[in-house]
Amino acid sequence: MTTLAATPDRRRQRLQHAFALLIPAVLFGFLVSAQWQGQQERSEIAVRYNAPLTDAALALQKEQDDLKAQLQDLRAQLDTIQTNASSQSGAASELEKELAVLKAQAGLSPLTGDGVMVQLDDSHTVAAGAANLDQAICHSTDLTDILNTAWRGGAQAISVNAQRVVSSTSVYCVGSTIMVNGTLLSPPFNIAVIGPQNSVLGAFDDPSQLRDIKARRDVQGLGFRVTRANAINVPAYDGALTVRVAIPQ
Amino acid sequence: MRSNAGGIAATVVALFLGILVVAQFRSQDVYSRSLQLETPSSLTTLIANLSDRNNSLRDEIFDLRLRVTTARESVASGQGSLSESQREIDQLKIFAALSAARGQGISVKIDGAFDDRAMSDLTNELRNAGAEAISVNDVRVGARSWYGPGPDRTILLDGRQLNGPWTVKAIGASDVVYVAITRTGGIEGQFELIYPKTRFTVTKETTIDMPAVAVQR
Repeated sequence: MTTLAATPDRRRQRLQHAFALLIPAVLFGFLVSAQWQGQQERSEIAVRYNAPLTDAALALQKEQDDLKAQLQDLRAQLDTIQTNASSQSGAASELEKELAVLKAQAGLSPLTGDGVMVQLDDSHTVAAGAANLDQAICHSTDLTDILNTAWRGGAQAISVNAQRVVSSTSVYCVGSTIMVNGTLLSPPFNIAVIGPQNSVLGAFDDPSQLRDIKARRDVQGLGFRVTRANAINVPAYDGALTVRVAIPQ
Repeated sequence: MRSNAGGIAATVVALFLGILVVAQFRSQDVYSRSLQLETPSSLTTLIANLSDRNNSLRDEIFDLRLRVTTARESVASGQGSLSESQREIDQLKIFAALSAARGQGISVKIDGAFDDRAMSDLTNELRNAGAEAISVNDVRVGARSWYGPGPDRTILLDGRQLNGPWTVKAIGASDVVYVAITRTGGIEGQFELIYPKTRFTVTKETTIDMPAVAVQR
């Protein structure tokens, strides 16, 4: 009697043990495969070509910084020669004054003034593989939209992470990397805008402007902040002028 | 004995499970940007772009060295630096869109639905392709130009209403700019997908004329 009664109990016990191990085993299998797949994806990205290509890109960026420094030095030398020559004749003095005005208008002179600071940044809470990742990070089109709004508000001079925005400036995006004036930049993007503060702030506050950015800030945590600021420094454009085909008329 | 073995097995499984949960959680880390995470294809494009920019800088450095030497010699011989200054003025006027310009380039005719943000993107793409001067419906685009939506599906450029069809002209090395706009996956192809009923016609032009910017605030 005792033996007959113990058998179903033991079976139930075994089943309970089996079920107790089944759930962690399934979880274990799921996590092993997820981890293995993750490693596989990363190893595809980290193929042998990435390291030398990354090094090459960084070396070119370093070379660009050096070339820009040389260019600035030569522009300063030419300025000095022209300034000295302007004291020799009235005509040279007039040209020198015209040059100074044109350089300011073209963005080749640094400028300090009151305006607004805009900061655009990736969300700091979004996970790398999140479904809404695209909505939570900054894109080149966000930057062009912000520049457009600032000019619309009456901006006089703008820089993005110390890159002066001039007539040839483009915001270029490859993968998740953004270039302004051909220079590699990383978020946060600090956009310095010199101009009439109320008018520029009004343009940014206008509900019809930057709707997409404002919605992503509120929902996905995209970093977007506009603040009034005084004595903002906007550096001079330090890139090439690239006027080779166009002829003045 | 049997219950001990079961307990050890469960502990081992639980331990592995814990390690894997932590590893998986860490691999789902907060998104961060890094060049190392770009694909080889993106890195190659970035390298090409950086190389182009550096070549332009090298050309300008070479040109400026000659101009500095010429200006020095000119001043030393008592002739002053008038011609050099005039040359720089001409260059800056083109660069700042303050003078009318002529040169080879491309034209993009847009017939159908289009909007101000797309026009801003096209302008950005043309600048990236090396356009030296740009106009829309013969209105020059300046450094501080802005686009906005106008009434009846028109586009505002610096507050000026431009009606479709729009013709965007860009002065620059026509072969280079043409390829940049029409390449596979380029902006023309993207526009054709976004605006399927709109006709985009890109053509190379041997001579384009465009006026100076109307308003320089």
